[in-house]
Amino acid sequence: MFGPRIVGDNGVELRPPVLEDYHLFRTWGMLPEVTRFWGPRFTNETPATAEERLKKDLENDNMVFWSIAYQGETVGLNGIFDINWTNRDGETGIFIGRHDLYGKGIASEAVRLRMAYAWKELGLRRTHNWIALANKGSWRANQKSGYSQIGTYPRSWFRSGEWFDEWLGEAFPRTFPADKLPSPWRDEEHPK
Amino acid sequence: MALGGIVKGKRTTLRTPLEDDLASYSRWMADMRLRHAGPIWHEPAMPATWKERLKEQAKEQRVVLWSIEAEGRLIGLARARLGSLEGPPGAHLQHFMIDPEEWRKGYGFDAALALHRYFFDYLDLQRCGIELHADNVPALRIAERLGYTEFARGHEVHYRDGAYVDEVWLLMQRATWDERWAKSEREYVPFGVVG
Repeated sequence: MFGPRIVGDNGVELRPPVLEDYHLFRTWGMLPEVTRFWGPRFTNETPATAEERLKKDLENDNMVFWSIAYQGETVGLNGIFDINWTNRDGETGIFIGRHDLYGKGIASEAVRLRMAYAWKELGLRRTHNWIALANKGSWRANQKSGYSQIGTYPRSWFRSGEWFDEWLGEAFPRTFPADKLPSPWRDEEHPK
Repeated sequence: MALGGIVKGKRTTLRTPLEDDLASYSRWMADMRLRHAGPIWHEPAMPATWKERLKEQAKEQRVVLWSIEAEGRLIGLARARLGSLEGPPGAHLQHFMIDPEEWRKGYGFDAALALHRYFFDYLDLQRCGIELHADNVPALRIAERLGYTEFARGHEVHYRDGAYVDEVWLLMQRATWDERWAKSEREYVPFGVVG
């Protein structure tokens, strides 16, 4: 399923993806600049299959999926995947496809909005993720919203002659910083 | 394509699953002892659904399923994902289930050792991974004896029996196999050695 629109700070928002976003996702997945720690850089998707993929994601009750918009433009994707509704646990993932926008805090804000939704609306009680250890920007963005490291998976990625380990993390509602709760939840719990 | 062939242990044999095995599979998936111990492979279902599942399993390119026998009886199943595109070639053991009526007879370790011999001695894989419930002591003991070590622990992951239990993530490296088992656990006598 697709997540609802959640407006954050600094021009960042999560919003339900549209078909044009799926074309962007596929294109970004082929770029060397953004795939150092993301996927094998090949695909079986074509422009013609994008709509089919969108429908499948929409009908999948075990995931919540968003596009990330920055200043109104789609720049990445964000989601909670493989949700186990008995354990109330899911795997989170984020991808910024616009490498020219790295370092602007977009991922941190998108993670904050996603985690608030997971705890306040979905009733999840745990999430987990895998991030390349060398991709500090990504796991730090997750740490800011309550993730902590639970282990290191050795030799997960081989890139340009060296092996990279993976940072394994988990988060709980109790680890989310209360003062970082975004609107609309912040307004309910911290009336001014 | 992805139904396993024969792998012989000392007391157990992993073999190609048959339609006749499916009634036992369904019974195991409905058994609360197994459901508490770890992940099940599909929910219980009618025979026609199980036949369809076996057919789908056969089409899997990288996930292999075996039935496990002991003394001519079906006693369990094993299912592993083989190969890795971006990491070192390895196996990930997704299901390893022994019929609760056959527990505490040493079959689990015997079958697990044979399966790992297949991974390391036959397929030349570099490592094998598994996730276990932290309270599944018999499985953890088997893993430790084989040579697995913990590299991560998820907290309060699985809900069962009214409470959450942690999940232990383990890896066994090729070097451990070589050191601990390679001399005694060869499937074939090396060429040039007179038996």
